[in-house]
Amino acid sequence: MSRPPKQSDRVNLEQSTVLLIDDNPQALDILSSVVQGFGVREQIKCASAAAATDIIKQRMIDLILVDCAMPDMDGYDFVRWLRRETPRPTCLTPVIMLTGHAARSKIQKSRDCGASFVVAKPLTPAVLLQRVIWLASDEREFVQCDTYMGPDRRVRNFGPPLDMPGRRAGDLSTHVGAAVEANMDQSDIDMLIKPMRVAL
Amino acid sequence: MTEARTFKYKSNLSKQMSQPGGRSIHDAVRRADAALEGHRESGMLAVTTALGQLEEACRVRDNAAHGEIYEKAAALLDMAGFFDTGPLYGAAYSLCEITDLMLASGAWAWPSVDVHVRALRLILADGCVEGETSAALLAGLRSVVARSRPE
Repeated sequence: MSRPPKQSDRVNLEQSTVLLIDDNPQALDILSSVVQGFGVREQIKCASAAAATDIIKQRMIDLILVDCAMPDMDGYDFVRWLRRETPRPTCLTPVIMLTGHAARSKIQKSRDCGASFVVAKPLTPAVLLQRVIWLASDEREFVQCDTYMGPDRRVRNFGPPLDMPGRRAGDLSTHVGAAVEANMDQSDIDMLIKPMRVAL
Repeated sequence: MTEARTFKYKSNLSKQMSQPGGRSIHDAVRRADAALEGHRESGMLAVTTALGQLEEACRVRDNAAHGEIYEKAAALLDMAGFFDTGPLYGAAYSLCEITDLMLASGAWAWPSVDVHVRALRLILADGCVEGETSAALLAGLRSVVARSRPE
């Protein structure tokens, strides 16, 4: 990431097309007003993720803001579809997911479906714009494999290169290698995080 | 077994935002804040309506509709989250948290929902102002949620 933005820095969203997806029409209008305030001239509002998929098949979008919780196809399914089922460069479109109740499980779900960022309410225009600016300077690589497509989810430091002093035991390699063992079943993962009473 | 492939990609958004022009961050936030303020009245009306629906649901106590309580609480939270509603947002978040926990555990307790809904009404009637009363209410709600968390 580059230096933090200053209030006097300029943000140019005049040429950007923003897709807003929320099943609540009032929330959609509010979001639209905020985005317009940022200087976005072209925005498309969709009341459902299914309607948004039709738009995306027809034209290029530069930024997507999508609510997590929606009936039928929710925000997570939509992002998963975008990342895995659409051709390049559409599948690489930056996505900000918006959530009211940010339970840990939901944040993890957003991360694992391939969202670029999750923004939890209370939502202020300053925070939302900051996330958009972060997205513009996002230097994360995209990861593509059978089970995931989206920005690199690893947030730990890569640390200095392997042959340089100063690396820590927890630093990650920039190389994502092939998996060394079979993927776990979802039921096994569920069992790992299921709260269970223990007798001490 | 999956082979992961990584690649760099510069988005259109990134290219467009690096173009000269646009507006200062200060100006963009100021305009967006003003636009958001224009929705406050209708937004708070939606919050009040959602709270009325929760109160009605608490009165009826339909045990087949626990999921709807979470959905109504989440709708209230969504709208309250656009505005500076301080303790109201905190109480709505707490209601989402406890209904989510109770749905997951299958141990539903209407009194826990009741106390949240009453706190929401008190905070709303008090103008969503932060103070000793709202702090005490939120502390009480936190202890209710804490009791519902799995050991």
